[in-house]
Amino acid sequence: MQDLLDSALARITAAGTAAELEAVRVEVLGRKGVLAQLSKDMGKLSADERAARGKFINTAKQSLEGAYEELKSKFEAEALAKRLDSEWLDLTVPAPGARPGSLHPITQIQWEIEDLFRSLGFSVLDGPEVETEHHNFDALNIPPDHPARDMQDTFWLEGHHLLRTHTSPVQVRGMEKLGPPLRMIAPGRVFRNESVDASHEHTFYQLEGMMIDRNVSAGNLIYFMKTLLTAIFKREVTVRLRPGFFPFVEPGFELDIRCLICGGDGCPVCKQSGWVELLPCGLVNPHVLRMSGIDPNEWGGFAFGLGLTRLVMMRYAIDDIRWLQSGDLRFLRQF
Amino acid sequence: MKFSYRWIREFVPGLEMPAQALERLITMKTAECEGIETAGALLAGAAVAKVQAVQPIEGFHNQIATVDAGPYGQKTVVCGASNCRAGITTVYVPLGLKKVSGVMSDGMLASAAELEINRDHAGILELDGTQELPAADQIIEIDNKSITHRPDLWGHHGMAREVAAITGQPLRDPVDLSLLPAGESPVQVEIEDFGLCPRYSALVFENVTVQPSPLWLQARLTAVGLNPINNIVDLTNFIMAELAQPMHAFDRAKLQGSVISARPARAGETILALNDESYELNPANLVIADGAGPIALAGVIGGKDSAISAATTSIVLESANFQASGIRKTSSALKLRTDASMRFEKAQDPHNTVRALARALELLPVLSPGIRLVGGMADCSRELSVPAPIWLNLPWLARKLGRTLETAEVRRILESLEFGVTETDAENFSVTVPSWRATKDVAMPDDLVEEVGRMIGYDSIAPTPPAVLCAPSYDPPEREFLRGVKRHLAAQGFTEVSNYSFISEEEARRFGFAVESHVRVLNPIAAGQELMRTSLLPGIYRNIVENAKHFEHFQLFETGREIHKVPGQKPAERTHAMAAVFSKDDGRAGLLELKRAAEGLAPGLHVRPAAPNAWEHTMRAAELWWQGRARAAKRIGRLSELHPNLVEGGRGAVLDIDLELLRELQPEAVKYAAVRRFPTSVFDLSILTAERELAATLELEIRRLGGDLAEAVEYVREFQGPPLPEGRKSVSFRVVAGAPDRTLSSADIIGIRTRIIDGLNSLGYELRA
Ligand SMILES: [Zn+2]
Repeated sequence: MQDLLDSALARITAAGTAAELEAVRVEVLGRKGVLAQLSKDMGKLSADERAARGKFINTAKQSLEGAYEELKSKFEAEALAKRLDSEWLDLTVPAPGARPGSLHPITQIQWEIEDLFRSLGFSVLDGPEVETEHHNFDALNIPPDHPARDMQDTFWLEGHHLLRTHTSPVQVRGMEKLGPPLRMIAPGRVFRNESVDASHEHTFYQLEGMMIDRNVSAGNLIYFMKTLLTAIFKREVTVRLRPGFFPFVEPGFELDIRCLICGGDGCPVCKQSGWVELLPCGLVNPHVLRMSGIDPNEWGGFAFGLGLTRLVMMRYAIDDIRWLQSGDLRFLRQF
Repeated sequence: MKFSYRWIREFVPGLEMPAQALERLITMKTAECEGIETAGALLAGAAVAKVQAVQPIEGFHNQIATVDAGPYGQKTVVCGASNCRAGITTVYVPLGLKKVSGVMSDGMLASAAELEINRDHAGILELDGTQELPAADQIIEIDNKSITHRPDLWGHHGMAREVAAITGQPLRDPVDLSLLPAGESPVQVEIEDFGLCPRYSALVFENVTVQPSPLWLQARLTAVGLNPINNIVDLTNFIMAELAQPMHAFDRAKLQGSVISARPARAGETILALNDESYELNPANLVIADGAGPIALAGVIGGKDSAISAATTSIVLESANFQASGIRKTSSALKLRTDASMRFEKAQDPHNTVRALARALELLPVLSPGIRLVGGMADCSRELSVPAPIWLNLPWLARKLGRTLETAEVRRILESLEFGVTETDAENFSVTVPSWRATKDVAMPDDLVEEVGRMIGYDSIAPTPPAVLCAPSYDPPEREFLRGVKRHLAAQGFTEVSNYSFISEEEARRFGFAVESHVRVLNPIAAGQELMRTSLLPGIYRNIVENAKHFEHFQLFETGREIHKVPGQKPAERTHAMAAVFSKDDGRAGLLELKRAAEGLAPGLHVRPAAPNAWEHTMRAAELWWQGRARAAKRIGRLSELHPNLVEGGRGAVLDIDLELLRELQPEAVKYAAVRRFPTSVFDLSILTAERELAATLELEIRRLGGDLAEAVEYVREFQGPPLPEGRKSVSFRVVAGAPDRTLSSADIIGIRTRIIDGLNSLGYELRA
């Protein structure tokens, strides 16, 4: 019996592959295996012999199964190691599929500034690119034959329509639609009939905004612009106002910021003046309020215009405005 | 507009600060200065000199001149002017020693052009010995755009008034109205429409000598950008530059009759203008006419036939006022902008006409000695109304500016600008507006906010946070939607481009768009930009062609507005997205990439093959249909490859989506549906069919045959080639069968499968094992 057990153990440990081991398992531990044979004639034995045999079988089973499991684990571990080894992968190869694209730098700046204004409770509105003379000029206190129309060379379309020269018409539409109190900005594409060169475009982007409320003062405007520009430029900005003429505001201002390049000492960017002209603004002209159905005795406000194209050029130090509308991916993929 | 520092100082004698400091103050308080230039820089060291002798230089046309250069002593200079000869009096400029034509020259003899007195550079300036040299001047250049609302700032006296107010110095008025003569004028003025010509004043002079103006006057005109011509014309320009009142002088001998009328031109009338151009006129143009016809285009330019010439001995001096918008219309219709029209279109003060004539009465005897006034002044005017005073509430003013104000300070500022101030009570002023600010500039209290604010200085206002109502902002849904589309396309590998809204007729034709269906730009900036785009395609196509020069493969997109003609109405705008893929392969991957991008925007969209447009690959054009929240699917866009004739060296595929329709179809908020509890079964089917059979057709048939219990039908793959016969392909689908309320039995599943297979067979399809 002991020999039988020893030879069975020897056969298990001799198995060289998982398949051989499985064959041995069937022969030794299977239903017709060695152990099964040993327990077959138990019925013929005496009670004592039976007890001894049973004990022997149990011990033998444990030792055979132990040997089997050990070897099986070893084979499995070897197989796994082999599979893992065979699955070596070069992760330095480029991933398939498209590279991420990118958003136009104007879009990026526009979103950034829209989000900034929204955090200040402003609505973001847009209007048509094709405008009526009324909304683009008359409602903004620029009647026909007003010299101010020269300031904004206009693309005229058949049927007495025009391409908006500013997004101010959206302010008119905003006032008409939402009424006071009102905080809104209107970013968008505008058109001026100007020859294109490195610093002039006939198609560009601007953002105009207004706040209409009770008792809005020039002091409020200065505070607001300073806060806004500090957020846009991500550093403390010093502003100054000087007179500027824009028919839809009274008084009108040109807002300059202290030159961010030289800090005010004078450099080529600020033409040695220490200041850079940044945006037009002013207190909304009562005529404009009245034309939009708002009582100027009760309400007042300020308005301003911000050149998005100009901001993009400033932020990325772009030397030629024509890149922006070029569709050239060598330029656009940088953003 | 150019301002002479010396001229301003004549009216503000107390002005002491240098031009640079003045320029900064003007910028902060009145109008934007663009810079300072020196006029007549060489005059600064110039001296009157007498040429004592000249001798030629062998081999050069230059000569050696020995001159008595006054304070500089005797000098030897090389001079190339042909009029350089012994005995003349000219101008010496010390420039240091320099070798010219092989000879050491110590300084130079200067022409009038070099001295910036006038434009004469034919020879060196010859003086008659009595004239003094003008002095160099500083010229402050003001941005015209910043004074479009200020008719008074188009003359030096107006700017001097600002300077006086800024510096607190007194202002001198160069005009003495007591010089104006009484009595009848030899000319009669008739004004047909006082709306177009509120006032026309004139004086008549005889015994006129037409000659060059004195050097100081020529230098002044040159310094501010005007061209000296002769004493009479120079006088009109000088007074215009001084008082902002344009004037005109006619040769009286050339006028027919003694009546001068201001009237609309008659149809067909023409005028030969001083610029030698002939203009055909119509009743929209106001003319000044004599008995024979137009002698000037009112407020714009004079006529050639009645112009001052060397032979002129008698003149009519016009000083008139014209309606701003009429002048502007005529000047822009004729594309003729003159110094006069530029001023009139700013709405000049009708009170100013006679001031200009009074000033002329003072200057003419100096410029044309012996000149005689004939009769009195002709002056035809509508009644000049006095504007109502403006009620200025001081606490309101302080609130508008956001700072406290001293009553006395407000009064001082307004009075320094010659506003009339009456204190009606402790808190209110009644303010009268001077006539030169009343034409359109100042009419309401808000205008006075500007006057006080700019003079007190905006830098004196402390930034104050606004106290506003706390309210959530209104946000139109379009904006966030557009952002989502852009983000999606960028994340899918597309780079955003931005193209012009303009296209050319040629581009429209290239894509088969009818040219006449486009909104036309009446004044395009350049050829090739005459139509408004009705599709983003021409721009995107340009992007493909241009970028193909630099890249083997690229993906780009644009969102923008199409502009469509609507008969009798404002053109309609429609926001579209167009994405494109360029590649150098068989083009399949690019089209599928675009389809994937579209499916991300419209999950579950259907592609339907479409008849190709002329610009499309004949076999690769499809429409995109999507149901979204609607009852039936709508066509939201198009997916196609560009025709190979349009793209060289590769393939371009484009996706066009109507974003407004896409947004309208956005499903409503998702409603939660219970997760199913009963298991489903899955089986695959492979269908053998013709090569060009659409997968979507097969899928639709399987769905129809499977009925409700076929919960999903998914395309798995397709296969072509041996062992399949030529022209056939095998398409595999996976069918998921299940029911919401029970587990299907195997009989149920066999039933579905059999139904589908039998159905497909009866439609003529073969099933592969
Ligand atoms: Zn600087």
